[in-house]
Amino acid sequence: MFKNYFTIALRNIKRHRSHSVINIAGLAIALAATIVIFLVLQHEYSYDTYHKNADRIYQVIKKDVSPTETGFQVGVPFPATRALRQDFPQVTFGELYKSFGSQLTVMKDPNTISSRRFIEESGVFFADPEIFSIFDVKWMAGSAAVLKEPGKLVLAKSIAEKYFGTWQSAMDGYLKIDNNILVQVAGIIEDVPSNSDFPFAVIPSYKTFESNQQYFNYGEQINDWGLSTSDHQVYALLPENMKAASIDANLETFSRKYYRMESATKTSHFLQPLKNIHFDTRLENNGDHISNKTSLNTLALIGVLIVLMACINFINLSTALAAKRGKEVGIRKVMGSSKTQLRTQVLFETGLIVLFAGMTAVLLAWLALPYLRYIADIQQQLTLINTGSILFLVITLVVTTILAGFYPSLILSSFQPVEAIKNKINNTRVGGLSLRRVLVVLQFAFSQLLIIATIIAVGQMNFIRTADIGFDKEAVLLLQGNNDSTSLARQAAFKSDLLKLPAVKSVSFTMDPPSSLNSWTTNFAFNNNTEDLPFSLYLKTGDEHYAGTFGMNLLAGRFYTTADSARKVVINETLMQKVGIKEPSEAIGKTIRIGAGKFREIVGVVRDFKNNSLRDGIQPTAIISYPAFYSLTAIKLKSNNLGKSGEAIQQVWDKHYPEYAAETRFLDESINEFYQQEERLSRLYKVYATLAIIISCLGLYGLVSFMAVQKNKEVGIRKVLGASVGSIVYLFSKEFTVLILIAFALAAPAGWYLMNNWLQNFTYRIDIGAWVFILAVLASVIIAWLTVGYKAISAATANPVKSLKSE
Amino acid sequence: MIKISNLEKIYRTEDVETVALNKLSFEVKDGEFVAVMGPSGCGKSTLLNILGLLDDPDSGSFLFNGIEVAGFNERKRADLRKRNIGFVFQSFNLIDELTVFENVELPLIYTGVKAAERKKIVEDVLDKMVIMHRRNHYPQQLSGGQQQRVAVARAVVNNPKLILADEPTGNLDSSNGNEVMQLLTDLNEQGTTIVMVTHSEHDARYSHRIIRMLDGQTVMQDLMV
Ligand SMILES: Nc1ncnc2c1ncn2[C@@H]1O[C@H](COP(=O)(O)OP(=O)(O)OP(=O)(O)O)[C@@H](O)[C@H]1O
Ligand SMILES: [Mg+2]
Repeated sequence: MFKNYFTIALRNIKRHRSHSVINIAGLAIALAATIVIFLVLQHEYSYDTYHKNADRIYQVIKKDVSPTETGFQVGVPFPATRALRQDFPQVTFGELYKSFGSQLTVMKDPNTISSRRFIEESGVFFADPEIFSIFDVKWMAGSAAVLKEPGKLVLAKSIAEKYFGTWQSAMDGYLKIDNNILVQVAGIIEDVPSNSDFPFAVIPSYKTFESNQQYFNYGEQINDWGLSTSDHQVYALLPENMKAASIDANLETFSRKYYRMESATKTSHFLQPLKNIHFDTRLENNGDHISNKTSLNTLALIGVLIVLMACINFINLSTALAAKRGKEVGIRKVMGSSKTQLRTQVLFETGLIVLFAGMTAVLLAWLALPYLRYIADIQQQLTLINTGSILFLVITLVVTTILAGFYPSLILSSFQPVEAIKNKINNTRVGGLSLRRVLVVLQFAFSQLLIIATIIAVGQMNFIRTADIGFDKEAVLLLQGNNDSTSLARQAAFKSDLLKLPAVKSVSFTMDPPSSLNSWTTNFAFNNNTEDLPFSLYLKTGDEHYAGTFGMNLLAGRFYTTADSARKVVINETLMQKVGIKEPSEAIGKTIRIGAGKFREIVGVVRDFKNNSLRDGIQPTAIISYPAFYSLTAIKLKSNNLGKSGEAIQQVWDKHYPEYAAETRFLDESINEFYQQEERLSRLYKVYATLAIIISCLGLYGLVSFMAVQKNKEVGIRKVLGASVGSIVYLFSKEFTVLILIAFALAAPAGWYLMNNWLQNFTYRIDIGAWVFILAVLASVIIAWLTVGYKAISAATANPVKSLKSE
Repeated sequence: MIKISNLEKIYRTEDVETVALNKLSFEVKDGEFVAVMGPSGCGKSTLLNILGLLDDPDSGSFLFNGIEVAGFNERKRADLRKRNIGFVFQSFNLIDELTVFENVELPLIYTGVKAAERKKIVEDVLDKMVIMHRRNHYPQQLSGGQQQRVAVARAVVNNPKLILADEPTGNLDSSNGNEVMQLLTDLNEQGTTIVMVTHSEHDARYSHRIIRMLDGQTVMQDLMV
């Protein structure tokens, strides 16, 4: 029986070659797209699931509720760990201190300085041994116990090999952290899997951090419950059967016990499950990116819709073809075939086509995977074939077969044998054109939706790229250094050498450029009031050349100078308005108290500049001088073209900071990086809009070629009676144009609604103009005409005698 | 074998009612060879479709081997049909996508005969119909006469008790037509009951009895000598 199905299926596929190609191509593209989407989702949802206690691991989160806002921080005050351990003895707590951009110097022995220096952007964690009772790592040498002592460190295998050649020789070797802290390698772990938000690579003991306090600039505040930094984090492993909710309840009491409750901001803690850490966009994490669940869901939805579109093609084409197969079905019925047997046969054929498509799809997905990182936030190369993806593929193929084959099988098997044999099955009997019309409308609606989304996303990204950010980001080179006392001491000499270079216009020492993803906020009071204002003040720090180097515009007053920088402050327009001042000049001479410090006099007001990305609004900001934090050197160049001066700057750096590796980047590049996610998203829309258009055009092409066959006789008669080619092409395109317009009526409001929502992510955004929709509908009409036109013209120019004779 | 009485079939379209069969009654005995004749549109094909259980009468009784089958549902009819009845059509009705062998094999597949056995039976029949050398050809590669021989082979492959033939020679020239008529006669002599619709007095003479129809009714029955 199945051999018979198989033979006839294969022959049918061959016989209706063009239909089969369209079906297989459409399905293959759609399936490849979904396989890729599946791999992305699989990867994102696999983050940190490999820890054997994954469902019992939590991060301690700090929640600050003020009258105007609620903030969430991953940073926990330093004394909290000990208090937590005391008050929750049944829970295992582990703490770590994360260090960004640490420089590590490899040492043969503890006394000789070597020139083997490495900067690690991420992966440096001062951790206590408990961290590794919570998180799983594989020990190749040593154990978590080595982290009990100060001056010890654990390396990941690949880092050990990078520093020491082989990991075996790394054991007992020495490293110097930021030229100050000497540590000895006491353990090696296997590299952490890439799907982890805890990329442990260089792990000095937490005790090392504690015993080298002087290098971390926290001073006495380290024991203060009021201080927290996102670098100091605490994790918890709950005993089995303990609910996080019960701990959360007790954490309320805990917070009341340790935090000053009279302050306007109420601080408390709660436990965040490990499985949420990768997706919580309110919080930062230690991995390479945070995933937005909404984006992932959108992606999944797009995948499903694309497969549905391909199924619609399939249904349309096979029901169109059904009329042709009426005779075969009729004969089979006369010969005694039951309905079930016929249905099985149709499903079998569908399955075979879907299987071909599936195989093609795997190939396409394999070809596409290397390009994935352009559209998804995934740097690793994903593996195409794994248990999950095979299972997914099998399920998708089965579901697709049923979706695509079920309706055609119902239609075919319901033919009356007598009529079928007499070839009386015509189109109106096979679900009619009306169903097919509905399906085509749906398809077009979806591709138009994607076209609209693409136009808007691309427009918004262009807007952001060219938007006025309130300062000059061009030709500013940033050099990341350190703010230890030796480094700071050499700054003046370093600067004067830099200024001798012909390419350098000005130099400023700072902690942060005006636009950055870091934010430093504090409580503050205005104009000698004792009461704090009920909103946070954002701080930027820089020396007296900050405004000049970054091309900021003063609206009133002046920038602080070398002489008065410690006592003066410059504010932005937003802060001025928020404290109720209308005219910039009126702000001059008023005072601000930053944190618990002294009141400083306002000497200038600068035009608003974008503190963060354009997603966020402009915050009330003050610019102050704070030399202890100046680890960044900003160099304004005379032209954007670095050329030879790059080397010259490097030489000056090496002269003054021989023990540090220089890390340089251009400001405009780092600002563009803020929008990586959006850039990827708009690229993603482009890709999927293109796919959707291809799939719907394939379907349209199939339908029109079917129509051409069907209308063969009509076209022949019309031509004999004198119809022109144009009028016949019109006969074909008229209907589809109407369908596209109906689809547009669905897609336009949906597109407006969705993209308007998306734009709400940006404080600065484009208006959605009518032209977006006009462009979308024109694009799809033109694409459809091109698709239809070819077939229509060949039908219209065919010899009428032939088409009439064949009837 | 067949006994119909007061059989009625009415086709209703939007505005016209066509009485295709009007209280038709007759009987066909086991082993008979009956020809049905009459002008175009008098209801011959309709009758044959009902006899072949492809269609259901609107009223009247139809005893097949003594069982009342009028009112059987589709599944029951298909079941009875595939084991008892073979069909030969004017336009052959072979499946274009299947070879000669596969076309003839089809009824056996639907009655669930095992593959090895099927092969033997089909080859036997093709031998008998002298079409064995064409077993791997597709219908379009054959002449009309050859196609009809394949169709007859397919009709008899299941050893049906009854063969229904609707103008089996209608699309054939006289020599090919005679060949097919000879095949049917041979089958009849081996015991198969045959009901054949024809416009040809010549072909009708192969039968034992002619039923003449007019406007859905029998007008007379000629017994052949
Ligand atoms: N599906 C149908 N719908 C409506 N009327 C039908 C249908 N099939 C047949 N008829 C009508 O029923 C009558 C009998 O048709 P039938 O096909 O049985 O005639 P016939 O005797 O076989 O004619 P011919 O010798 O031309 O084949 C005719 O008037 C025909 O128009
Ligand atoms: Mg007829």
